[in-house]
Parts: sequence; structure tokens; C-alpha cells
Amino acid sequence: MNTLHTKWKGPTLLLALSAVVLLFFACGQAETTEPEIVTLRVAVPTFPNSLDASVAAERNAQNVSWQLFDSLVWANEQNVIEPALAERWDVSEDGREYTFFLREGVEFHNGEPFNADAVVYSWERGIQPHIEWSDRWARAESVERVDEYTVRITTAEPDPLLLGVMAQHWNMVPPLYTQEVGDDGFGAAPVGTGPFQFVEWVREDRVVLERNDSYWREGLPLVDRVVFRPIPESSTRMAAIQTGEIDIVNRLSFEQADALERVNDVDVVTYPIDRVFYIAFNNLTTGIDQPTMDPRVRRAMNYAVDRQAIIDSLFGGRAQLATGLMTSSNLGYDPSVEPFPFDPDRARELLAEAGYPDGFEIGFAAPAGAYTNFEQVAEAVQGYLAEVGIVTELDIIESGRFWDLEAEKQLPPLFGDSWSERSGESLPRLRGALGGWDASFSAWSDPVIDDLLDRISVTIDQDERAALYRELHRYMQDDPPFIYLYVPETFEAVRSNVRDYIPRAAEDYFLMFTYLD
Amino acid sequence: MQRYLLSRVIQSIMLMFGVLILVFFLVRLTGDPARIMMPRDASPADIEAFRDAMGFNEPLPAQFFHFMTGALQGDFGRSLHYRAPAMRIVLERMPATIELSLAALIFALIVAIPLGVIGGSRPGTIWDTVCRAVGLVGQTIPNFWLALMMISLFSVTLGWFPTFGRGGFSSIVLPAVALGLFPLGKFTRLVRSAVLEVRNEDYVRTAYSKGLLDHRVYTHHIFLNVSVTLVSIVGVQFGYLLGGSIYIETIFAWPGVGRMINEAVQARDFPLVQALAFVSAAFIVLLNLLTDLAYVLIDPRIRYED
Repeated sequence: MNTLHTKWKGPTLLLALSAVVLLFFACGQAETTEPEIVTLRVAVPTFPNSLDASVAAERNAQNVSWQLFDSLVWANEQNVIEPALAERWDVSEDGREYTFFLREGVEFHNGEPFNADAVVYSWERGIQPHIEWSDRWARAESVERVDEYTVRITTAEPDPLLLGVMAQHWNMVPPLYTQEVGDDGFGAAPVGTGPFQFVEWVREDRVVLERNDSYWREGLPLVDRVVFRPIPESSTRMAAIQTGEIDIVNRLSFEQADALERVNDVDVVTYPIDRVFYIAFNNLTTGIDQPTMDPRVRRAMNYAVDRQAIIDSLFGGRAQLATGLMTSSNLGYDPSVEPFPFDPDRARELLAEAGYPDGFEIGFAAPAGAYTNFEQVAEAVQGYLAEVGIVTELDIIESGRFWDLEAEKQLPPLFGDSWSERSGESLPRLRGALGGWDASFSAWSDPVIDDLLDRISVTIDQDERAALYRELHRYMQDDPPFIYLYVPETFEAVRSNVRDYIPRAAEDYFLMFTYLD
Repeated sequence: MQRYLLSRVIQSIMLMFGVLILVFFLVRLTGDPARIMMPRDASPADIEAFRDAMGFNEPLPAQFFHFMTGALQGDFGRSLHYRAPAMRIVLERMPATIELSLAALIFALIVAIPLGVIGGSRPGTIWDTVCRAVGLVGQTIPNFWLALMMISLFSVTLGWFPTFGRGGFSSIVLPAVALGLFPLGKFTRLVRSAVLEVRNEDYVRTAYSKGLLDHRVYTHHIFLNVSVTLVSIVGVQFGYLLGGSIYIETIFAWPGVGRMINEAVQARDFPLVQALAFVSAAFIVLLNLLTDLAYVLIDPRIRYED
């Protein structure tokens, strides 16, 4: 029969339709490449919500944004505060008044001059409640112009963290432009004094920055262009660094990092981040009548959990044991404080001493999907506790709901979580997690800790403050408010021709020093 | 016909109204956005102040009234996370999603129609086996897995296509194939069984007995009848693709609404979730309406009585 006709219909139709499809997309945008320009391509795992550093909600958005800005001061790789837009500063006797002497002749990318008025305007804008990081700007009680290149900054109490917070959060903005375009307009097309200036932001697709030729740090930056591409899926980030479509990727898993170590032209970058994982106890609400009120029980639970085994099996050995709620890069971290060893016998002894020779039952919660492998960590902790007789009912809760309950202080008496801190000191983290009723996410209050934290927060002298931190660090080992877990490492990868890419413990980086070989 | 059209439009509007009510209450079942939006070391007083500023402390009926009056003017409020009007953000990202969904749909149809017709017209042959296999595989392979495998093979090993992003024809090939796989399987099975069914109808026998050539019978009598079924399922699938490309858009870093849904839900960005849900629902309602109209155009037997 005439079946030949049917046989040929498929392919013909296919050809015709492919032609239509090709036509349809031929008019789409094409990639433009300019060969003489050196471009650094950086993948970020989330999409910036704003390019204004005062509004950028999280680390990755901040990283994109801060390439455009400067603050009065800058924290170097060792977290030492250095001059930036301020050349030097004086501090008054009582520690409440800072006088900053500004760098002269600096211009914003749009040509507006940087001077005392810009500093005052930036602060007045920063403390507005709708600004994401307004509480960071509000650490200063007043910012006044003294003369064109001098400003006076006053705090209500002596604030040892002021300079660090300024370095992290006080992005200087041009008054005229910012007023003209408004906050939304500024977030969409920001202007700063930084090493790179804004070119283009295609939402969810790319942010393009180019070299600020008149940057005040002479000779910097070293590349002509930086393109940030959001790639939410880590497998895709891993593929993109292998194909060379991207020069720098972050937030890989350790399995991916292991695999990339065997790939030519790709180098893996690993470092511990400033985040501590822990199982918290509660002495404010649900934990009040529990055995965990006894410090011996809390110490026993620290001895009972083999943290090293957890790190080895779930993180390929690539994390550090936590002590206190501090990381080794924090001021006043006492390296002589040994992590609790794994010693179930000692744990049983302590439990017997406290009157629980047969253990007890207690509630336990952990957030789902919030952190790498954390559900498995919680299950492992549950298993270890069971071996010394402590039976936990583990409730793994969707993370948003979990944090709501945490803030309402309604989680079970044991709950797992983590806390990151980027100011280089552990004070905000300690306050946040141990501040009792005054802190949103704290379930613990201890007058000894409160007293030490109060003293730390008004002591300006670095050495004195470090000594107080060390005292606290040791105290928190004797009377632990947490089962200390681990400080994770993070895994990034760069193409092997990338030089001087130096991410810090807070996962932040400044691309002005980075270049391609 | 006109009265039918009018009643369908009114129905659609009422449906959208229902969607709005649902969308308003559903997001309020999830966590407290104030706590998630505020920094972790914020004090309870700060959080309370934020909640107050956002209007989350107002009584629910008042919040509902504000929401409805705004929504009727296309104003879903400002995205908490992106700090811009929620509706504008959604509409800015819609073209990328429509482009990808269309490409996936076209890919699925190009393969499924010929395959289904060949399979259905010759049941039991090797072609039919291929056709049924494609139908099964298309509907059972998880598309996110296929997406990762394709990246590994076609981008990393062979270097034929870009790994991620949107720009030019080559960038849409992998995501469109991955996204089109499920509808491809569905369409292939559907076309095959429809052809099988229709070719035994009396009017097909009549057509042959009139002495019509095989290809004319297929184009005028069989395929036109099959297309009625096809159109209804294509409409539904297109709506599904528009809302359902979360994984594929995330894996290929495709700048559409799909992967924004994920972010918006995680950030408890109420206004954005609402605007997204409303726009997705509106598309599906619109597609359903168009599908109903398409029946009339394709099949003269379908009439909507006045």
C-alpha cells in the first residue's frame, strides 16, 4: 500500500519544525566577547537581592556588592584594621569618640567628590530602619562633619567592635546620586568609590563590573572586568569550572572538591569558615526541669559523642573539632582548651555522679535542609547518646519552622544548629546564642557568661579583651551550654591561571588583587 | 457561542478570585517572615518593630483587605527579599521561562507526533516498540538526573553546549531537552493510542473506500481527529511546564521564575510567593480557555450551544 508516505512524513515534519525553532532563536541574544579585555568570571550560588552593600541580604550578594565600595577602614587578611577612605584616626580617652581624617581627592564612580558630607549622608541613610543592616550603622550614635575631610563618630558606650563593623558594613555612597535614584534605583545600579564600577545587571543571569581606572589604591585592580554569574546548583558550578566557563566557584561539597583535585587546570581552595555547629541546651523554657540543668550531665554528653568519627565519616575528615563557641581565627581563642575527647566511660561515670546511672529520656530537634549533612549529624549524636543511656526523641523539622520555634524558645531541651560570624570576633555570636531572654535565638542564660560578655563588650583594649575571651572560653568548657560539634571547612575551586584569590574565614573576598596568568 | 465565551470568561475570573484567597491564606500557614528576614542576633524588640512595619501585626481581615485591593490593581506589594515590586520581578523573569517552556514543548512535539503516528499506524512492528519505549522512558526518567548526565556528557566531556545560563540557541538545547522529556513521553503515548483508536473508526473506512490516498486519510481524517486530544493535553502541559521547571531552571541556572519560586519560599518572601502563584495560576486558566476555543476551530462537531 501507500505506506511510503507515512514513513517519510515524520522526518519531513521534523525538519520543517527544526527550521522554525532555529529561526525562533536566531533572533535571541548572542554572547559578545572582546578578546583584549581580561575578564574574571566568578560563580555565586545565590542571586543578589540588591547590589547595595547595606541592603544585600547575605554573604554572596555582599561579595558582589563590596567590589564596588569602600568603607573608611578595611580589615586585611589577618583581620587587622587598616586605613581605607580614612587615612588615619584618633580615639578619645573614654573610647567613645573617633576622629577620622579622610583621604583627599577621592571621587565616586560618577565623579561626585568623597568628603565628610558623603560620610554623614551615608550614615544617615544607613540608620533608616528599612535598610537591611541598619543595626550595624546604628552602632554609632552620631556622625558629624568637622571640616571637609574630617568626621567625628561617637558611640553611646565604648564599642570595641566599631571599626570591624564599619569595615564590614559601612559602604560609602554618593549623596547626590543616591538621592536622585532612590534606594531601589541605587540597589539596581550602585555607585561607590571601590575598585570596580557597575556596568550591567541582567537579573538572575549576570552582574558585570569593570575596572575603576582612577581607583585610589594605585595599580589596582588587576583585571579589566569581573562578571558574576549566579549558579545555584553545585554540580553545575563544578561542571562550569571544569569546562572553563567560570574562573572561580565556591560552596562545593567535599566529594566535589575531591573529584576536582584530579582535574587538570583546576585548583581546589579549602579553608575553615567562621561558623560553629553545636547541640544547644535550654535552661530558660523547655529544659528547666530536665537533667541537663546539671553541668555534669552536659559534660557527660560532650564526652559521649565521638565528634571525630562524625567528621571523618560525614565530612571526609575535613572539619575541625569545636571548643567553646569560637573558631581559631577569633580574638581570644585559647588553643590550650582541649576539645572533649570521646570517652563514653567517663560519660557514664559523670551521669552516675549526677544521679542518672541508667540515663534518661529527653527531646531533641534539628533543622532539615539547612546545612550539609546536618540531619545525619543529628542522627549520629542520637546514636552516641543512646550508648550511654540517654534516649532522645529526634524531631527533624523544616528549617523555617525550626527557626520560628527556636526564636519562640519552644524547641525541645536539646537542639542542633550553627552560628556564623563575620566580624572576626565571637562576641555577636556569643551574645546571640547565650544572651538569654534578650537574644532572639538563645535558650541559655548564665550570670557568669553574661558578666564576662558585658565586660568584653565595653573593653576597648585588644589584649584585655582577649584575656576575657580566654577566661570565658575555659569557663564554657567546665560548664558547657552546648555539645560542641565542629567548625566546617568550605571548598572552592579556581582555574589554575587564577592568582591571588584570597577568600577569608567569613567567605568574603576582594577581587582587586586577583589576576589571571 | 458568545454566551458560552462570556460564561467561560466569568468562570475564569471567579477562579482567579479563588486563587487569590487561597494564595493569601496559604502563605500565612508557613513560618514567621519577620524572624527570617532579620539578622540572627537581632533582639526580640527589633523583630517586633520589623513585624509592625511590615503590617504583619494587623488583624487578618485587615491584611486580607489590603491584599485584595492591591492585587486587583496588580499590586502584590514589595518583595521582602529583592526590595522591589513583587509583580514587576515576576514579570521580568517570565520571558525566560516562557522561552524555555516553549522550546521544551516544541522539542517534545517534533519528536512525539511523528513517532506516535508511526507507532499507532503500525502496531506490533519495531517502530511501535520504539514508540512505546520512548513513551515509557520519557515519563519515567527523572529530568533532573538526565539534566546532570547531559551536562556531564555534552558540556564537560564533549564541550558541545554551555553548561549553564541563557544566551543564544546553544544554551537552550540541554535545558529544553531535559524539560521536554516528560511531555515527550506523554505526547508519544497519547498520539499513538489516539491514532490506534481513530484508524478503526467508520469515517476512516469510508475515506479509504472513497479511494483516498493513505497520506490524505492520515492528514485529513486521522490526524485532525487526533489533534483534538493533543491540543487539550498540550495546553495542560504548557501550563505545567511554566510552573514546573524549578529543577531544570535551577540546574541550568536559567534566569526564569522557576528557580525564583524556590528562593521566595525559602526566604518567606510573602509578596513574591503570592505574585508568583497568581501569575502561574493566571497562565493555566488562560491556557485552559484557549484550549476550549481551539476545540471549536479544529473540530466542527464541537459546538457550544447558545
